[in-house]
Order: sequence, then structure tokens, then C-alpha cells
Amino acid sequence: MQEKSEILKLESVANLRITMDDYFSRLRIADQTRAKKIAYCSSVGPAELLYSMGFEVYFPENHGAMLGASKKADTYIPTAVAHGFSPDICSYLTSDIGAFLQNETPLQRSGFTAVPKPDILVYNTNQCREVGDWFAYYARHFGVPVLEINTPLYINKLSPSIITSVAAQFQEIIPELEKVASQKFDMDKFREAIALSHDGCVLWRQVLETAKHIPSPITFFDTAIHIGPIVVMRGTHYAVDYYKVLLAELNQRIKNGVSAVPNERLRLYWDGMPLWFTLGNHAKLFSRLNTCVVASTYSNSWMFDDLDASDPFVSSALAYSKLFIVRADKEKEQVLEKLLEEFSIDGIIYHESKTCPRNSNNRYGLQNRLQKRTKIPFLEIQGDLNDARCYSEEQSIIGIETFVQQLIHKKYK
Amino acid sequence: MYRIGIDLGSSFTKGVLVRNRSEVVDYFVTRTGFDFAKAARKVIDHFSAHHAIEFPVYTCGYGREKLDAEAVSNSEIIALAKAVFELYQKPCTVIDIGGQDTKFIKIDELGQVEKFKMNRKCAAGTGSFLEEIAFRLDISPLEFNEFAQQATEEIRINSFCTVFAVSEIVGKISNGSNMPGIVLGIYNSIIERCFEMAVVEDFLVLTGGIPDNHPMIVSLFQKRNPNCVSPEKSQFLAAIGCVLLQNSST
Repeated sequence: MQEKSEILKLESVANLRITMDDYFSRLRIADQTRAKKIAYCSSVGPAELLYSMGFEVYFPENHGAMLGASKKADTYIPTAVAHGFSPDICSYLTSDIGAFLQNETPLQRSGFTAVPKPDILVYNTNQCREVGDWFAYYARHFGVPVLEINTPLYINKLSPSIITSVAAQFQEIIPELEKVASQKFDMDKFREAIALSHDGCVLWRQVLETAKHIPSPITFFDTAIHIGPIVVMRGTHYAVDYYKVLLAELNQRIKNGVSAVPNERLRLYWDGMPLWFTLGNHAKLFSRLNTCVVASTYSNSWMFDDLDASDPFVSSALAYSKLFIVRADKEKEQVLEKLLEEFSIDGIIYHESKTCPRNSNNRYGLQNRLQKRTKIPFLEIQGDLNDARCYSEEQSIIGIETFVQQLIHKKYK
Repeated sequence: MYRIGIDLGSSFTKGVLVRNRSEVVDYFVTRTGFDFAKAARKVIDHFSAHHAIEFPVYTCGYGREKLDAEAVSNSEIIALAKAVFELYQKPCTVIDIGGQDTKFIKIDELGQVEKFKMNRKCAAGTGSFLEEIAFRLDISPLEFNEFAQQATEEIRINSFCTVFAVSEIVGKISNGSNMPGIVLGIYNSIIERCFEMAVVEDFLVLTGGIPDNHPMIVSLFQKRNPNCVSPEKSQFLAAIGCVLLQNSST
């Protein structure tokens, strides 16, 4: 169903386009001229280290999201499946590898002939194990090295032994990076990148926290788009510059009494991945229902305030192991409970993503435990980040509309 | 005053003509087919032909917004909850088994939806599951019931997938399993899908086309949960609820 409601666009969208276009231009030039080395990096991998060593950094997960948003992932996933990848594994992976096998990418609209060729690939398992297999595929194809930082999954207490181990692994990959980069690691440059990453993350946090204001100047569907620079330019001044402007616009909205959803009556929390192929429809649907999705696990994940230029390795280990997705349910519940209160949440939507179990937090009863404690109702919808075949839109709309009516009654009658 | 409530479901469109506040004076059901507006128009034409007056129309269900009249659209979950509470006036759990959805709805002491859940992405345990099996085995709902009544032991059907379930059934038949036991297994597989949606702790109300057309399913539910009822013509309750909701909002 195509939603007809209008949504209020942020003026910063134009600036976002320029910022992202410039990022891809730098990558394209590096790819064409090979004047700079290119590293593939997982979305919460060691971007700062790579930027500090002179790499242009490309993020396959960002590309996966682009494929989902282009609504063409369904045409790529079967190709990957035909090459031996299960349709039940990460659909970022299957759509990205499927598109690669078909030699198609949305980047072709920006002058690329194909995705940029890597000189090295680096990932951190803090997000999921799939990135390992994903990056290994490209390492085999291009005949280039692949490096791993192995963070334990399902962390309860963030113990010193975990931090020490992860920090050591950050250091251990440096010699191989130096070899590929043909330059020596420079501690001062790394500190500078860590400082910029910290500043960008703090600004991103401030952007997200403007949604604590009632009514909110921004929705989850905005942040899912404006998250781009903190994902791909973390550790550079580009991200810092971008979020300064976005934050100013949002503060101005608050000052002028402008809300993202014109008549905000409800405030929801979104847990799980966005459904990229129908993100715009969701934005319009919630706007029509006078409901603002004000906060989300997804957008909140890129807040690495613990990064500290005075101790870059240990603080990197701390920041990237503190990440929501890598924590045990007990820790996640505490984080969620705090957010529900801070953002004045009326209800929670859990998107159970068929191919992204680590980003689906309603599989082990967390949703029931949290409701018992907070009394905040929830709705579960089944779908997927990229594979539209796993999603029944009409059934989900009925669920969302009913949920909104249920909450309106609870709040106002 | 007369009003029409229409529930435009994926398989069937159900209509009621309501006099005054909540007195249902006529029912009409038709296959939805591919044209929601046409199915709704059939309902309206039926009531107009038999009662010779124009009525305001209220809709819910999958095709709720497809009607080209001044219809008011409702969530069928809210509408169904409204009608069930009107009937029983106490907190309860509703399990509604429709064409492609199975819904679990918990209603509080004020008649409000406290929580709800829908089946997960696939039609296992819904009316479509039974329809497909009935079509492939060429048996009617009446024969389904008769077979289930004759069963002395259940033959379990394991497959979630409707298509694979049919293959499993055909395999069991060719291995000499008896039809009554198989049909009992089919019914129980639907019941199991319902009970795994959420924990039922209170009075249980079964609604939808499946309980209406397969009374043995209701008996089997009652074996597991004696505190279970299924009102007559329960598939029309959401349509009735559409009209009742207008009483509340005016």
C-alpha cells in the first residue's frame, strides 16, 4: 500500500546528499587512480584506525542498506542463493554479494563501474559473525588480506579481560595494515581520528536527543537516513561538520515549535532494523497516524562517546564492546528501560527481522519482561531489513493501526 | 435507524444490518474475490434490495479503505473486541481464526484491547490452511467435521507449511492411515498454532469463519480449555463491532 500522507522534510537532506556524494567521490577517485588504498570495514569496525592510516574506507553494510532502499534487493538475493548462500542468512550479505555477482550497484549512478576494489578488508565481530563470511568472500575474490577483531558476543559484564583482549587485537592488526598502506602507523594521527570520532558521536547523540523534546523535531525514519555520515565518516571532520549543521536545524525546529509529525499524539520506540524497502511508506503511515517514532535501537547504536584520544586503543575496545548489539539481554533491558523513560515512550515496536537475529530483540522474551516492569505496551512485526518477501505489508499496517488506536485510548481516555 | 457494518476479509466479506444501537436484523456473506469494492457493493445491494432503504456504512478488514462510499474505516481487531465485549461484558481472550490471519486479542475489564498478536507471516493455522487441504482432498467442511467425530486416535500433522502439510497427508493416506485420525490431526495442528501465540489465562472466546463452519474445532478447544465459548455467527462480530464503535464515537 502506498501511503499518501505528507512528511516534513529536514532542510539538511540537501546537505546530507552533498556530504555522502563527496564521500563516494573520494572513494571513486581512489578506486580509479589507486592513489589511495581502499579498506573495506564493517559498520562498527575500526574506522578511525583505517582513516588515520590514509585509507579510503568503504562499508559493505552501508551498501547493503542502499540496495534495500533501492527496492532491488529481491532481484539480487536469489543470485547469491544460487551461489550457495542460504536465504535465511543476513540479507545485507545476500543482496550485496548477489548485486556484485550481477555487476550492479546503485553507485553506478555516481560514476562507479562497480563497487570499489579493496586492498584490504577489516571487520569486528561485535556486530555479528556474518561479516566474517561476507568479507572472506571478497578477500577470496580479490585476493587481498582480511583482518579480524574478534569481540565476544553476548557480553554481560564488560570485564577488564575483554577490554584488554580487544585492545590488543586493535594493535595486532597494525603491522598488516602498515604493509598494505605502505606507511607507518602514526599515533598522533590515530589520536586525532579518535578525537574526531568522539566529537562526531557526541554530536550524533545530541541530534538523537533532540527527540526527547515534546513534540519531537525528528523521527526514527529521519535518523535512519541521517545516520550515514556517522557510519561511514566516523573519525573524520566531515561527520563532525555535518552533524553541527543538522543539530542547529533541529534546535531551530524546537525553538520555532516545529514538529517532525505535524500533530504528534503518540511517541514510539522502534527496536530492530529498519525495513529499508518500505522506509518511506512507514514514515508516511506513522505521520498519518499522528505518531512519532522518536527513538530506536538502530540509530542509538552509533554513540561511541567512550572514545578517548588520551587512550585510543583501550577506549576503542571499550566503546566498540559496549555496543548494544553485542550485550546480553540483561544489559539490553537496562539500556532500553532508560531510553523508554528519557524519551517519554508510549509504546514499543519490535521488528523481528527474519535474516538478522542479532538485531531482533524479541526472540528470548525480553519484550514480555520489559512490559512487566514498565507497563509499556508493545507490538511485534515480522519482516526483514532487505528481503521484502519476508514481510506482509497489509498485515503489518493492520497491526500498527490497531496498536496506535490501543495506545491513543490508553493515553487520552 | 439502520446501519451497515462490513468486514472485508481476505477470503470472505461479511456484512450485517443493524437496527438502532445493536440489534442485528440481517446477515450477508460473500466471497471477497479480487475486487474489495465489488464485494462490499454486493453486501450493500443485498441489504438495500431486502430493506429498500439507504444506510450509512462502516467498514473494517483488509479491504476497508477500498469502498467508494462515505464509509468509515476501523481496525477489525478493535471492532471485534468491541463486539465481543458487548456480548460478554467481562475481560476475556479472543482467538479469531480467519482466512489468512489468526488473531489473539486480550480484552480488559473496560472492554479495551490490552494486547493483541497476529499469526507470523504464514498461513499455517488459518482458514486458508484448511481450505487448501479441503480442496486437495476434495472434502467439505461438513465432511471434515464428520471425519473428526469418528476419530478414535489422532494422526499428527507436523508440517507448518500448507503445501508440505498436504504432501504429508497424502503420504499418510497412501501408507494406510485412516481419514478420521488425519482430520483430527489437522484440527489439532490449527489449535496448537493458536495456543502458541500467547498464554490464555482467562475466559476464551473463539470467533471467525473456522469455528462457525467447523464446530468440532470448538469442541476440541473446549477439551483443552473448558472455559471456552464460540458465539453463533461469530464471523460477523467484527462487522457488528464496526457499527458499535460508531455508537461510542457519537
